[in-house]
Amino acid sequence: MLGFLSARQTGLEDPLRLRRAESTRRVLGLELNKDRDVERIHGGGINTLDIEPVEGRYMLSGGSDGVIVLYDLENSSRQSYYTCKAVCSIGRDHPDVHRYSVETVQWYPHDTGMFTSSSFDKTLKVWDTNTLQTADVFNFEETVYSHHMSPVSTKHCLVAVGTRGPKVQLCDLKSGSCSHILQGHRQEILAVSWSPRYDYILATASADSRVKLWDVRRASGYLITLDQHNGKKSQAVESANTAHNGKVNGLCFTSDGLHLLTVGTDNRMRLWNSSNGENTLVNYGKVCNNSKKGLKFTVSCGCSSEFVFVPYGSTIAVYTVYSGEQITMLKGHYKTVDCCVFQSNFQELYSGSRDCNILAWVPSLYEPVPDDDETTTKSQLNPAFEDAWSSSDEEG
Amino acid sequence: MLVCASPPPLPALTGLRDDKLTLLSSSPGLGGTPGETVRHCSAPEDPIFRFSSLHSYPFPGTIKSRDMSWKRHHLIPETFGVKRRRKRGPVESDPLRGEPGSARAAVSELMQLFPRGLFEDALPPIVLRSQVYSLVPDRTVADRQLKELQEQGEIRIVQLGFDLDAHGIIFTEDYRTRVLKACDGRPYAGAVQKFLASVLPACGDLSFQQDQMTQTFGFRDSEITHLVNAGVLTVRDAGSWWLAVPGAGRFIKYFVKGRQAVLGMVRKAKYRELLLSELLGRRAPVVVRLGLTYHVHDLIGAQLVDCISTTSGTLLRLPET
Repeated sequence: MLGFLSARQTGLEDPLRLRRAESTRRVLGLELNKDRDVERIHGGGINTLDIEPVEGRYMLSGGSDGVIVLYDLENSSRQSYYTCKAVCSIGRDHPDVHRYSVETVQWYPHDTGMFTSSSFDKTLKVWDTNTLQTADVFNFEETVYSHHMSPVSTKHCLVAVGTRGPKVQLCDLKSGSCSHILQGHRQEILAVSWSPRYDYILATASADSRVKLWDVRRASGYLITLDQHNGKKSQAVESANTAHNGKVNGLCFTSDGLHLLTVGTDNRMRLWNSSNGENTLVNYGKVCNNSKKGLKFTVSCGCSSEFVFVPYGSTIAVYTVYSGEQITMLKGHYKTVDCCVFQSNFQELYSGSRDCNILAWVPSLYEPVPDDDETTTKSQLNPAFEDAWSSSDEEG
Repeated sequence: MLVCASPPPLPALTGLRDDKLTLLSSSPGLGGTPGETVRHCSAPEDPIFRFSSLHSYPFPGTIKSRDMSWKRHHLIPETFGVKRRRKRGPVESDPLRGEPGSARAAVSELMQLFPRGLFEDALPPIVLRSQVYSLVPDRTVADRQLKELQEQGEIRIVQLGFDLDAHGIIFTEDYRTRVLKACDGRPYAGAVQKFLASVLPACGDLSFQQDQMTQTFGFRDSEITHLVNAGVLTVRDAGSWWLAVPGAGRFIKYFVKGRQAVLGMVRKAKYRELLLSELLGRRAPVVVRLGLTYHVHDLIGAQLVDCISTTSGTLLRLPET
């Protein structure tokens, strides 16, 4: 570490290298810390978490009781012991609260003035953060499993919504109606995700074992169906291609958008090259997945080797993305973990589970170096009051 | 007057070096401790010892189950890139068998375990992908090496019907000879020979599509029906087929029954765990026709049992979920 600092100082190395190395070291040291806590508001399991991308300070959580809570993650007290307090919440007494379980919440990508939430009550609601009122409501015919808004797009305000029907709907926030329908899947859509690299690329995962990549500007249909066997590509036979041998539960792009991670109920996680849809064949081993709805997992950002944090039963499994090695299992929850998010500024991980808790996993700090023995046992007395006589018999 | 010291005891030094070399290349017995220690210095005042195993350790895939927090804290100094490794002595590699610790060597070793006599030599020796994982600890590397072997045409990967995830690995030569022998004298022999001659070398995939077969390789529908009757192709979807091994039904039956039986042996044990040495020492139940070691490799590689290293050797325990 000191070597890195001096190399950066003399200009031998890029400052980014030191930052990445330190971020990686902190992620490898993630553990539960008795000094950090998140206030417990939810009365039901927590289905979704989202941290706003602008400052990384506020976190939204959606629970199976329909309640949405907003937490402030920043430690503005001077002490090390800190509880992340809830700033406000949309509780059961709010007139516009969701009737059933909230499945996905997401901050508006460009500022914290707005957020969206979708729920099993077949609605997608757009909320104004300051007044906590719904600005808009989109109604659907089927329960909504997942929604996502593009984090990088400036040209469109489309929210992709995955429901129990096989059609992916794109809702336009500017006009207030559903502008597109994407057809191609055969069963319910369990996860949707926009690419963090391109404005118009969308990935959808469905219970029919298929993951499709779409360009929403294209009228003729999906771009690629991901094939786990990397067979020959031709439009006519893509009906047989499957990404997993079971339902595909979760999707996550890596932070640069070049790779896509998918998890399925066949207990596998796969890494795909998002530009040509090729299976990179990185093998993570058995990633237990019994979830009947979507599984929300996350990737670290800003480390020298990226890590993926996947809920695995009641623990969170941490793997390196590109080599497939399992680093550790973070144990702490009492019941199944449903979602986790990574705060990349401080390398902290927040996870929500069915035991109604949100746990904060914080990098363990360096142990303070103990002082030398002489200094700790040194007397606190003024030398004038110290005894000048010695107890030995020889000296006077 | 000082007597000049005799020249430094060279034989003793070389003897010491020889000892080190023998230590490096010695092969411990079954379930013994790993044979080599490699010293890393992450910082001048902070030596960290690391144990790595040689190919002679019988189930290197079990090494992964070490205490996780130890592994994480060991990785931390690595991120700062200050590490000096001791160079290993040259390890002999047999070109036929492949580098020790590689997928090729693992496949050859596992082929020895297959009971040829049981099927009267009508079936080529089949090895499962999960068994290769139990011998090669890094799964991604194993997958990539198997893919390379597949592309070179040395092995064929075949979808075994009982589990979409279980892939069987067969040497291409074995497959070819057995299939030709099986279809000898039958009405579909011509179609099969055409298939083996034209399609197998050209296309290394697990599955074949309708237009690929008719246009690229010039098969008629009747010939494709012959191939399905011969057992070389199995229906996957409308217009696509998996590659299959004729006569593999018996193997699959024995395999599924044997896997359940061995898993049952672990399940019935007290606390649902068994020492590997004890499991291998027990008499195999009658249902297990393919051999206990064959099934144990598969269970470990498919992660149907957790491997925990203990002071008495490897322990197999059923996972809690």
